[in-house]
Amino acid sequence: MAQAKLIESISVREFYESFKEHLQLDLVAGERGLNKVIREKSLNRPALALTGYYKYFANKRIQLFGAGEMGYLRDSPENKQKSILEGIVDKHIPCLIISRNLVPPPVMLEVAEEYRVPTFRTPQKSKDFTAEATVLLEHKFAPRTTLHGTLLDIKGIGTLLRGKSGVGKSECALALIERGHSLVADDLTYVKRVAETEIVGSSAELNRGYMECRGIGIINIAEMFGIRSVRLDKRIDLVVSFHEWVPGTPEERTGLEENFYNILDVDVPHVEIPVRPGRDLARLTEVAALVQALKRMGHDSAKEFNERLIEAMAKK
Amino acid sequence: MESGSNAPDKASGQEVSKVLKVQNKMGIHARPAAMIVRISNKFSEVDLWVEKDDEQVNGKSIMGLMMLAAGHGSELRFIATGGQAESLLNELEDLFSRKFEET
Repeated sequence: MAQAKLIESISVREFYESFKEHLQLDLVAGERGLNKVIREKSLNRPALALTGYYKYFANKRIQLFGAGEMGYLRDSPENKQKSILEGIVDKHIPCLIISRNLVPPPVMLEVAEEYRVPTFRTPQKSKDFTAEATVLLEHKFAPRTTLHGTLLDIKGIGTLLRGKSGVGKSECALALIERGHSLVADDLTYVKRVAETEIVGSSAELNRGYMECRGIGIINIAEMFGIRSVRLDKRIDLVVSFHEWVPGTPEERTGLEENFYNILDVDVPHVEIPVRPGRDLARLTEVAALVQALKRMGHDSAKEFNERLIEAMAKK
Repeated sequence: MESGSNAPDKASGQEVSKVLKVQNKMGIHARPAAMIVRISNKFSEVDLWVEKDDEQVNGKSIMGLMMLAAGHGSELRFIATGGQAESLLNELEDLFSRKFEET
């Protein structure tokens, strides 16, 4: 695995350009400050700061002005509005966002321009905006890395195929695509940890939907098999590793042992399949994914069978 | 251990056998069965059969071993032929005496 990359900050410009449609952002002032950085993946309601209480002020975050903050500003005498806002922008905040399309008093736009603080408006309500923006920021700030492996969606189970070059990952992936499963990334999978226990993988944009197949060359999966056969990203639920089989390799026989493969500090269920002539890797991988699907629904075939057996022996 | 002179005369070796008693509480369930086949499959030259009462199964098949439903206290007869048959039985004896690392 390549070195995991931690995202410490993103620029307001990146935030704006990535999410302006999604969050319905309208830049109303402070364009010159778009290079300011957001250093925390959360939003702050600066109500207390407006009253002059700056202890614990979360200045690294986006400052969200909702009905409360805007009402307080509006009801303050005009000469005080300016000093209130100057107090806040003086704390090196990244940007201001006004919810519910509330109209900013002219002094707010003046301060934003003067101090180069990007200021946006959105028609969304504060609570909806906070929920959406928090999820989007989580993704932007998610730790990420790249893995050598092919990622497929097998009936809803995101399955990462690993193994040395030439072991048959691409052939296996191709057979699975032919059976109606979809390709997320071939050979190089970009992964990020979007939640405490959730890893999402995707392809680079450049080779999305393309695969390299030895002896044939580069093929366009979406064109050959239809758009259903490619998928933009997928949570990784299972890692399948192929190993060249040599006599004496220990093999899992019961399925009672649970193995995990660690990706960005998340333990993902892991199955190791020895590669031997005559084994249908695609079929085995498909079954491994279905076993995982059953487990998710609370059915563990190996465990259930063993319990039956132990019960039968106890009766004797 | 017995090695009869009337055993099938195979080029690869003579038939040897051993009776082993299941000493762990839960009997030969999936985990012990997997431990047995892990050993027996190391010996590719050896044919291994396992008898309990009037049933006989292949000692390299995990499903076969589990189908014997050999509970605590039951006795299994392991019959091996081929090179290194005796070392295989000795390893199995050791495994049984360790109670498959269970209680």
